[in-house]
Amino acid sequence: MKDVTQTPDFDINGYIRLDQMPHFLCPGCGHGIALRALLWAIHDLGIEKDKLAVVSGIGCSGRLSAYIDANTFHTTHGRPLAFATGLALARPDLHVVVITGDGDSLAIGGNHLIHACRRNLNLTCMMLNNEIYGMTGGQVSPTTSADRFTTTTPAGNTEPGFDACRLAEAAGASFVGREVTLQVLALKDLLQRALEHDGFSFVEVISDCTEIYGRKNDLGASPEMMMSQKASMRPDAYRNTVDVPFRPNALATGILAKVDRPEYGQALRAANARQQPAGKG
Amino acid sequence: MSEAMERPKNVLIVGVGGQGVIMVSKVLAQLSLNHGHDVKQSEVHGMAKRGGGVFSHVRFGPEVWSPTIAEGEADVVVALEWAEGLRWINYLNPETGTFIADCQRIVPPFACRNRFRGGEAAYAPETPEEIMEQVHAGYVLDATGMAERLGNLRAANTVLLGALSTALDFPEDDWLEVIGHFVPPNTIDINIAGFREGREWALAGNKRVAENAAGLHQSHVVIHQDRVTTTVEITEEWCKGCDICVKLCPERCLRLNDRLVAELALPDLCTGCRMCEWLCPDFAIAITNTPVREAAE
Amino acid sequence: MTRTMNMQGNQACALGAIEAGCRFFAGYPITPSSEVAEQMAAQLPKVGGTFIQMEDEIASMGAVIGASMGGLKAMTATSGPGFSLKQENIGYASGAEIPCVIVNVMRGGPSTGMPTRPSQGDIMQSRWGTHGDHPIIVLAPASVAEAYHETIRAFDLSERLRVPVIVLIDEVIGHLVETVDPGEAGQEHVARTFASGPAEGFKPYAITDDLVPPFPRPGDGYRSHTTGLTHSETGFPTQNPALAAAALNRITDKLVLHNDLIERWRVREADDADILIAAIGISARAAEAAVTKLRAEGIMAGLFRPVTLWPFPEGALLGVIDKAGAKALLVPEMNQGQMIREVERLVAGRLPVHGLNRIDGEAITPADIIARVREIAP
Ligand code: SF4
Ligand code: SF4
Repeated sequence: MKDVTQTPDFDINGYIRLDQMPHFLCPGCGHGIALRALLWAIHDLGIEKDKLAVVSGIGCSGRLSAYIDANTFHTTHGRPLAFATGLALARPDLHVVVITGDGDSLAIGGNHLIHACRRNLNLTCMMLNNEIYGMTGGQVSPTTSADRFTTTTPAGNTEPGFDACRLAEAAGASFVGREVTLQVLALKDLLQRALEHDGFSFVEVISDCTEIYGRKNDLGASPEMMMSQKASMRPDAYRNTVDVPFRPNALATGILAKVDRPEYGQALRAANARQQPAGKG
Repeated sequence: MSEAMERPKNVLIVGVGGQGVIMVSKVLAQLSLNHGHDVKQSEVHGMAKRGGGVFSHVRFGPEVWSPTIAEGEADVVVALEWAEGLRWINYLNPETGTFIADCQRIVPPFACRNRFRGGEAAYAPETPEEIMEQVHAGYVLDATGMAERLGNLRAANTVLLGALSTALDFPEDDWLEVIGHFVPPNTIDINIAGFREGREWALAGNKRVAENAAGLHQSHVVIHQDRVTTTVEITEEWCKGCDICVKLCPERCLRLNDRLVAELALPDLCTGCRMCEWLCPDFAIAITNTPVREAAE
Repeated sequence: MTRTMNMQGNQACALGAIEAGCRFFAGYPITPSSEVAEQMAAQLPKVGGTFIQMEDEIASMGAVIGASMGGLKAMTATSGPGFSLKQENIGYASGAEIPCVIVNVMRGGPSTGMPTRPSQGDIMQSRWGTHGDHPIIVLAPASVAEAYHETIRAFDLSERLRVPVIVLIDEVIGHLVETVDPGEAGQEHVARTFASGPAEGFKPYAITDDLVPPFPRPGDGYRSHTTGLTHSETGFPTQNPALAAAALNRITDKLVLHNDLIERWRVREADDADILIAAIGISARAAEAAVTKLRAEGIMAGLFRPVTLWPFPEGALLGVIDKAGAKALLVPEMNQGQMIREVERLVAGRLPVHGLNRIDGEAITPADIIARVREIAP
């Protein structure tokens, strides 16, 4: 059992690039909280910063990599999983973490997401879902809730959104989880489990874009948005209720899928080894 | 009629909203009713929506007056969640009581915390082994894991009922009959299997702790000093005045100053809980808790 | 024992890559370049390398850059539409200075075009396919043997200069079987210069005399940032006009500074040519045959063949023209006139420049060139 009497000191300053601070995110942007949870999980797992590679895409989420004191790669829109696939295969010694957003991974990068889930390469993908394209000024995204106003849905959103976790699970992700930023400890735990998982892990973080999305839809300030996000979630730990499902229309949080299946990198290396000329390796 | 027969049995079932505390207590109440007992069942589940604690008192016997169990009087405490079990452990009869807990943990950010300075602020810092030393009989089992292996997480409650059945006098078949009425028809087989597994697990000893209890019980809230002094450091240049710390500090001891920068307004109320530090998206707050040694030490 | 063997042009690219030290290939099936991927899938595991077929062309380019970020020599191969899809990430590699090699086997376009027919329609796209000003090197081998050796050189240049290098062949060369002499076994090839020295104060994009900064390999302690945003010497984004200009000028200037390594061309009977034919790839092969026949007829034809297509060997071309006192230029190409624009720009009206174009899915023949030369002969 872990010694619970130790002081829980996680000093984020040891994991961020202080010369890049303050970061460029808007006031109250939940991405910062998610970043803390991620770095905290990394700290608790004892992952060396030199062995950590963070690959991000484009958008507000994509900018997070620049603040992490690690090997960081800010790649092209929607493609961080493709870059990370190459990097992780080339360097199995690195811990490769992908930071992406709802537009980055579900719209322009949707193909890469489903195939990363299918392949099961050892990567952790943290998707920050704030239901909006924030960087470009607030356009509708594949997760924007029904009827919400964005600059490209002036009469309210009429498109149904993705449930990213169900998508990932259906595509074969061997670890899927979701958490809200308000539950920072649970989020940190979830990310820790995801990072430990051998295979592709997908974690959706429900984040708030107060400045653009919140304002346009009268969702209140960041604390209010965070509280209401939490209220609309159904912690998956509660799923063993027998009577009626707990909050039937809410999205589930927690670990939503975890299966053991062969990790792609290992499988590929084993297959490659079989092709090596006899006597070599 | 022996005295033991006359005294009502007290079973306290606790957990977190949505876990099925009510279902477990309904099974027990129905079973007692079937055996001709007078049954009182009282529950609080108003907190369920916030993921807070839910508890249910079940009392049965030839004649039961009070609907609630007094501290130190419970014959059995059944905890569907580890920390909730510890929260109620003082209700257990220290001489004769049986403590049954699932070692799964559900950690809400605000719950399970004594917010006052010097209070026990940890999420269940005690280990299952420590708890076993304090009780007459006890079982810390991985009911959720057992249920998962059987193929249905929801059967965790019947696993616990199986363990509970060893502490009460009802025949096994009667339990199974009642359970059959309370679970969805297509899950009856799995629930029966779950019940039997829980029962056999508990019959194998007087005190048992699941091997993986430690792994599942990983507390991350670890403030465990008796007394601390807290310093709240706010990096003004990084604060963007988002109001998150102000609104979400459980003690409301922060405020935004006239430059819209967070500051500690009511330092005396601060419990050092670190919520503001954890939730600040701009990493502008650093909390330092320094233990204060008791003069008596 | 001779290592000489017969192979296909696409296979030569794959085997040349492996000889050069390529240990990662990500690809996507597309005609007429699929044999490169198939060869790599078969050969890479034997040398401890990794092959992956990605979900699309964009992903395969991304994975190649990712592997190179990790420190491996990496390559992909594609054609036509696939080359278009790769362009954004090629621009990333160019701007962030990630070495990588892209084989583009040209087929007829636009769009799906004529997948199985040859073309030289990507001459301009290979230079300007991605948006914005950017450095890039394009090599245009004209035989299977040259495809083998130029692919090796592509890696050497890419790793040395931290720039994407495109090996541009057409479908005819790609599917041609010829004899290749790989030369001695166990040759040394260029290795990337990885950063060494103190991590403290390390600037991943420092402007040095060499203009090519050493590459900080992940895990070596530098923990640097790589971005497609315009960045200063620190690697972090900048919008400071002076820093942005310095950074963008450096990546262009590095190719100018190292032009000696990059530039390569071949001539045939050019010294006294009245009519100089400038051509690449299979069109240059036709031109070679045409030159021989035309000379036999008494027409003083000669050939200038850029092996490095981009940066275009401009000084070399002008030098050859001056030396020969050429009176006219002919640019035969399997497109509606792409390389001719570069040639016209360079000679700037000093002598007439004629085109010879085919876009019908057939290669230009020596007869086509001979007929055209007769038309324009002074
Ligand atoms: S949460 Fe952070 S940024 Fe927001 S007001 Fe508080 S200190 Fe400032
Ligand atoms: S540590 Fe922060 S959140 Fe907790 S009581 Fe003190 S000021 Fe409030």
